Amino acid sequence: MATANPIPENTVAADNATADLLVLVTAMAPDGFKGVLANLGSAFSADSFIIATQNELPADIPPNLRVVATPQSNASWSLTPVDFVNAAQSGLERGAKAFLILGPEADSLSPLALRSLAEPALSASIDLIVPHYSLPPHAGLINSAILYPLTRAAFASRIRFPLSIDLGMSARMAERLAGVAERIAATNQAEGLLWPVNEAVAAGFAADEVDVDSRAMPQPSNPDINSILASITGSLFADIEAKAALWQRPRRPPLIRRSMVEADQSDGTADVARMVAAFQLANANLQEIWSLVLPPNSLLSLKRCSTLDAANFRMPDNLWARIVYDFLIAYRLRTINRGHLLGALIPLYLAWVAGHINVMASGTPAERHIEAVAAAFEADKPYLVARWRWPDRFNS
Amino acid sequence: MQNVIDYPAQQATGNTASQMYSDNASIWHHMSEALHQSVYRVLTLLIAVLPGILAFFVALLLFASAGAAISWVLRRCLTWLKFDTRIAQKGGNDWAPTSSPTEIVARASFWICVLLGLVIGVSAFDASYASGAALPISLLPYLTHAVGAALLLIAGVLAARFLSRSVLISAVNAQLQYARVLSLGVKWLVLVLTAAMVLDHLQVGESIVELAFGILFGGIVLTLALAVGLGSRDLVSRSLESHVEHTGERPHIPDEPSTSSRQIRHF
Repeated sequence: MATANPIPENTVAADNATADLLVLVTAMAPDGFKGVLANLGSAFSADSFIIATQNELPADIPPNLRVVATPQSNASWSLTPVDFVNAAQSGLERGAKAFLILGPEADSLSPLALRSLAEPALSASIDLIVPHYSLPPHAGLINSAILYPLTRAAFASRIRFPLSIDLGMSARMAERLAGVAERIAATNQAEGLLWPVNEAVAAGFAADEVDVDSRAMPQPSNPDINSILASITGSLFADIEAKAALWQRPRRPPLIRRSMVEADQSDGTADVARMVAAFQLANANLQEIWSLVLPPNSLLSLKRCSTLDAANFRMPDNLWARIVYDFLIAYRLRTINRGHLLGALIPLYLAWVAGHINVMASGTPAERHIEAVAAAFEADKPYLVARWRWPDRFNS
Repeated sequence: MQNVIDYPAQQATGNTASQMYSDNASIWHHMSEALHQSVYRVLTLLIAVLPGILAFFVALLLFASAGAAISWVLRRCLTWLKFDTRIAQKGGNDWAPTSSPTEIVARASFWICVLLGLVIGVSAFDASYASGAALPISLLPYLTHAVGAALLLIAGVLAARFLSRSVLISAVNAQLQYARVLSLGVKWLVLVLTAAMVLDHLQVGESIVELAFGILFGGIVLTLALAVGLGSRDLVSRSLESHVEHTGERPHIPDEPSTSSRQIRHF
């Protein structure tokens, strides 16, 4: 698909050109790339941006488009460290003031969405612009269960999709992320994840989100929940551990400005019974491991939950917050092997998903439940801080 | 010894009471002589190895003290140099607070000194043993074997715990009902293997241990094979089906709506 020199003759040579906006388009299918180019052409005037990509250009693109080739990256479902390095290198060399990184399947983003991602950075008002996608209620569940509430509680950020695959950013933000990406790449973690929101908070940069409506979300090549949850959650835990000095300081979270979109609540074919059965099986077998991580109160609450049938199953919000916090502490302390730890979290996450689906089925909008979960995380943050500082006060 | 040889001859002459008394006295005499000789041998052995034992403990104590001092100095220096921060900047932050790079270096230096003291102490003991080698002892070779066996035992127990947890978590996440049995099976497999290796290392009951180990190991493997074979036929067939679908050997057949959870997308 991609070649060493994919730039055809009919494009303007962009090697020495300058532009205010650099758009990095990650690897994608030829049709998808064609769609992205068309949307970019509609969103911006051709002389205002440069495209950096590893994709092979189609023959029938507008001739005045300025394109530079970037080294290959392996982005399949998320942005990789190499993408951030490529964006920063290509843009800073050409004097770009704003950067737009578009992940796989970005052709589903409208021209309006592309413009709203880039404009705050072009006007230098905001350093990091994260899209707020409108997803179906049964999608992006790891984000709803762990990533969003934990990031919101720890970093006082209201950004709903902290692991977004499209980003708009200022030059200084791009430079900072490239530095972090280089450090990750230096430790041979080519597939490592970057947490731009956490970096923006750490740097004291302004971050905000913009509504971009729906988007086709690329899925990992291996859709196995065991590997997805372990890699994403492990990466976030590691980032939170690295920024412990930052998030332990009290912060005032900004107000939520987005509207609560009530998405379609159709129940569909979500297999709640299977997830509850998985949790009950784990509750019968993993007590030995959970008892190393969770305090007796949580274990007792889980035991009570395991007696509920699938139709009435609920995971209390405060219990879920405590569980995630306790697993984060155990991750930090290496109470057990980290692979084992994240493996032991999977049945608990499935239990949360089952409860979330039941809550939605009872008529509560998904977003309202997710906000309630995030509020529970915020309310319990003192517990996290206390245990982080004095982990031995465990069973009291 | 001469008395013992003479004893049948005296019996043959038919002298009864006085001779019996004289024989009893002679047995007591021999016993006490044997005891004296034994005590003498043990005392001689102790005297021969006592300097070695003392040297062993002195060396161990000295090097442990030196190790503690070096460890303390290193900890202070590395903290002053902000070693942990530098390492975190270069190689990521994948360190537990109880095992930071500074702690690891400090502890390593201490244990290296202790190990050095142990080696020097053992060699001093060995030298003193060699000087008194006229007296046979089998303690030293057995002691070294025992240390090796203890290390094997620790490694085996750790490996058993790690593997049993790995199997338990994987099996639970694969929703195998017999996850605990599988995990226990793996744990005991490793423990039995470890026990056999330890006993073999200690040279205890060599052929019996080999035989018992073969029977036990084979039994556990057979039990696990039966458990997995009978219990997870569905899982294996599902796994094979999904493999065939991925490799494109046959067209994709969509799941039944009643069993599908395709609307759930975790990411």
